[in-house]
Amino acid sequence: MHSSFQLAFLIPLLPLIGCLINGLGRNWLSKQWSGLIGSGTVLGSFLISLLVFQTVETGQDAVIAYFDFIRVEGLHIPFAFQLDALSSLFLLIITSIGFLIHVYSIAYMHQESSSSFARYFSYLNLFVFSMLLLVLGGNYVVMFIGWEGVGLCSYLLIGFWFKNLESTKAANKAFIMNRIGDLAFLLAIFWLIIKTGSASFLEVFDFIQANGGTVKFSATDITVVTLLLFIGATGKSAQLPLYTWLPDAMAGPTPVSALIHAATMVTAGIYMIARSNVIYSLAPFTMSLISWVGLATAFLAATIALQQFDIKKVLAYSIVSQLGFIFLALGSGAYIAAVFHVFTQAFFNALLFLGSGSVIHAMGGEQDIRKMGGLSGKLKITYFTFMIGCLAIAGLPPLSGFFSKDAILLSAFLHQPLQYGLALFTAFLTAFYMFRLLFLTFHGSFRGTAAQQAHLHESPALMTVPLILLALLSVVGGWIGIPSVLIHDADRLGTFLSPVVGPMLHEVSHATKWVLMTVSAGGVLLTLGFAGYRFSNYSATESKGIFRFFEHKWYVDQLYEHVVGKPITYMSRLLNEWVEPRLIDALVNRVGRSVQLAGKQIRFLQSGKIGSYVLLMVLAMVTVLLVQFFIRK
Amino acid sequence: MNALFVSAILGVLLMLSSLFIKDRNYIHALALAGLAVLFAINLAEFDGWLLFEMDLSGMLRFDRYALVMNAIGLASFFFYLLLSGSAMEKVGPHHADYLALLFFICAGLFMVTGFESLLILFLGIEVVSIPLYILTGSDKRNLKSNEAALKYFLLGSFSTGLLLLGIAFFYGARGNFMATVSVDPTVVGSSLQLAAVLLLLFAMSFKVSVAPFHFWTPDVYDGAPTVFTSFMATIVKVALFAAFVRLFEDTFSLQFSLWQPWVAGFVVVTLLIGNLTAVFQQSVKRMLAYSSIAQAGFMLLAVYTINGDSKEGLLLYAASYSLATIGIFAVLVYLQDHTFEGFNGLAKKQPIVAASLVIFSLSLAGIPLTGGFLAKLFMIKAALAYQPWLAIVSVVMAVVSVFYYFRLIQAMYFRKDAQSISIEFPKSFPIGLLVTALIVVLLGIFPEAILGLLYF
Repeated sequence: MHSSFQLAFLIPLLPLIGCLINGLGRNWLSKQWSGLIGSGTVLGSFLISLLVFQTVETGQDAVIAYFDFIRVEGLHIPFAFQLDALSSLFLLIITSIGFLIHVYSIAYMHQESSSSFARYFSYLNLFVFSMLLLVLGGNYVVMFIGWEGVGLCSYLLIGFWFKNLESTKAANKAFIMNRIGDLAFLLAIFWLIIKTGSASFLEVFDFIQANGGTVKFSATDITVVTLLLFIGATGKSAQLPLYTWLPDAMAGPTPVSALIHAATMVTAGIYMIARSNVIYSLAPFTMSLISWVGLATAFLAATIALQQFDIKKVLAYSIVSQLGFIFLALGSGAYIAAVFHVFTQAFFNALLFLGSGSVIHAMGGEQDIRKMGGLSGKLKITYFTFMIGCLAIAGLPPLSGFFSKDAILLSAFLHQPLQYGLALFTAFLTAFYMFRLLFLTFHGSFRGTAAQQAHLHESPALMTVPLILLALLSVVGGWIGIPSVLIHDADRLGTFLSPVVGPMLHEVSHATKWVLMTVSAGGVLLTLGFAGYRFSNYSATESKGIFRFFEHKWYVDQLYEHVVGKPITYMSRLLNEWVEPRLIDALVNRVGRSVQLAGKQIRFLQSGKIGSYVLLMVLAMVTVLLVQFFIRK
Repeated sequence: MNALFVSAILGVLLMLSSLFIKDRNYIHALALAGLAVLFAINLAEFDGWLLFEMDLSGMLRFDRYALVMNAIGLASFFFYLLLSGSAMEKVGPHHADYLALLFFICAGLFMVTGFESLLILFLGIEVVSIPLYILTGSDKRNLKSNEAALKYFLLGSFSTGLLLLGIAFFYGARGNFMATVSVDPTVVGSSLQLAAVLLLLFAMSFKVSVAPFHFWTPDVYDGAPTVFTSFMATIVKVALFAAFVRLFEDTFSLQFSLWQPWVAGFVVVTLLIGNLTAVFQQSVKRMLAYSSIAQAGFMLLAVYTINGDSKEGLLLYAASYSLATIGIFAVLVYLQDHTFEGFNGLAKKQPIVAASLVIFSLSLAGIPLTGGFLAKLFMIKAALAYQPWLAIVSVVMAVVSVFYYFRLIQAMYFRKDAQSISIEFPKSFPIGLLVTALIVVLLGIFPEAILGLLYF
């Protein structure tokens, strides 16, 4: 085993140590130390991840089992890490962005008291630990530990300002929505363990490849397992129908939104499906369902994003939409394109969120873009980096988003031309609402209060440096996957990942590719121009017709409330007010009372008189002897 | 065999020591040192190391099971002395005599666990019982103590009569006292043998307080000085159970179909009476008396089922039950108020003591991560192989027991203390208690520490 692999255990361990130090020492640590420990441990993980990545790049991979996690009759689940192309790439994304966001947080959270500052970093470290565990896990069980861990941290961090009722509610919503998905994931794990006798990726996949479609693992098994895993993924990665928690989750601190709800945790579902690609490749029905769900989510979220006025809400829906694109790619079997987009969107979405954080910071907590405008003058760095983020997400060449989105569009084109058309339209929508956001925030004249105007300032270096670095990565991040039609042999990502997820399908002529690329790039350019013209001078108008529908987010929350929330409330009330007191309590109390009554009666046997004791004993003995010798005989 | 002789010698030494040593602390230290020696030579016997060779005419046999049982008893005794030793002063001035009697009881217990002839069983039980009668009545000026001693003596004599009669029938059927399996067809099914089995079943049931022969238990346990109740309810009871299991699983294994249904019935009756009555008690001491009856019901499952699981279960049960009960009694000794109210608000005043008591209660109730859980698990798993309904009754009764054990926790943590009488413990007491509690937890995590002794 390569020596860098022997260090792999440190990758999650360092943030865990940071979490413990910050968590236990929160009353003693100064802010400097908390910040230093928090970001230093993640930096350490990043460096080791780099080493591991380099080793993996030379073509090595390994599954390292540390100890037995579960060992019972017939089932053996080691605590194992799997180091290969897929996991090492995710390691890099998590630790690099994680580190930048830790640094950014030091400045962003500076107003917190030192104990809650340390608490914040403790949670953030715990999150990084869990996320690393999730991607490192060599079997579904270890992955599930990380999976639950990130859910918990997400809950803790969304509700970080727990005195604010809205945050607490959003935290609850996120947790509960995720639990629905988790249940499905758990069922899938049980299903796999029962059918294959193992939870290890390699063993499960080998088993399914050998026995898929036979009695041992029938087509129904494949469909059910893939569907359950997909439901799990929709919870964590905010897809229809479980996406509604993500926009609300923006109630947490902005760096948290950037790290957890933009760059890393929401890609867990994608990672899981990409990891399970062996099973999915055998499940055509699930695959087409995934692609449609992804597309529908992308479209729905994009339309909602068109009409939102909260800067973070717009970004939240844009993330849901981007994740939808990725699921479209997964459903089309283009795992490399999916992972590519995860990689690039992690950078520009984190960038956009951190940029919005910088804006909110400058505006003194204001998040409504109707009250912003003309900020480009005061917040130069934020403006430029934010613009790069917008261009990247819009998919303008040669920024990172262009290449990854193009790969997805190509895969959709190959899979189902109708999906391609819709996806292309959604991509234009993306460009449109991002530029609407950019123009409303940074261009035109300032629409806030005078006090806010006086307070406007560029953020400190601790915040702008991560912005600049992320902007840089948003520009160049796509160059690892430049399609061969542009530069021959430049698709390094594809070569790197193909051992794990299989090679990409290339059955299109270069001419078609050129056409597709030109159409999308040109369309984006036109949309940008239109948006620039439309929003360069904004004045508030009442939205009408379908846009009103979009503004109210398709009334999905209300729909859930009526279809799921209300019936459950009614049923709970019925159970609480009728079934519980009349049936269950009555039964339980009766049992309790009869126990007490029996106790009371039996107590009288204990009279304290020796004579009666002897009598009772003799009676018992005589009964036994009589029964034994005359009846049982 | 080592321990049997040495404990008898130690008893004599301690009895004489009060003539020469006036300071109680030295006597106490002597007893502890003696126990350490006993434990060591008992361990040495695992490897066949004997102090001296002696012809026992096959009347005693110290196999691994007996030795492990003795080791558990000695370890429990050690913790008992550590935690409650100094509390003996409250009973009366004859500190050394009490200790001497306890060591004599120990000698009796070693005979009981290692008997190979029914005469030795009888002798051992008497050697255990007579000092117990004395200890029960040792608080001479207390009327309750005297009454309890008298009751114990009278009822004990009654059961001894049964035991002797059973042994006489046994001799009548076989022509000898040897506790070996008799395959002689004229013996196996003979009425004399069957009568002997039943009478011995009654007598042993009485000794380990199995219903319907349990009536002496609450009165005696309640009346005896708390320190000695603790000893009786744990170390003595557990060793007698070892003998019970040995007698029925080895000697009477061929009469299995005869006694097994009766034992099942006794298990049910014991569990019901023990648990249901314990629910009602206001005094923690009386509650523990009934709970010890209820726990006897669980331990009786080891007699009921002839298989390895239950024997292992009994070892775990012996260790975890003894330690937990000794721990609770040790605290009880220091309280003025023996009712549940006496424990009110203890968590605030004595956090370590309260936390240890929680662990003891959890273990007695059979909550996971404690020795008590695994012990119950072994027992119920063994019972499941024979009679599912018996396992169900056991589980239901274990649930009932949660009620009264948790009342203790509730009193300590959720009730406020009405009268603020401060409870004084000796300085090292909470630490000793905590160590005991930790062992109870460790037993729940590494049961093989004890079970391994059986085989290696």
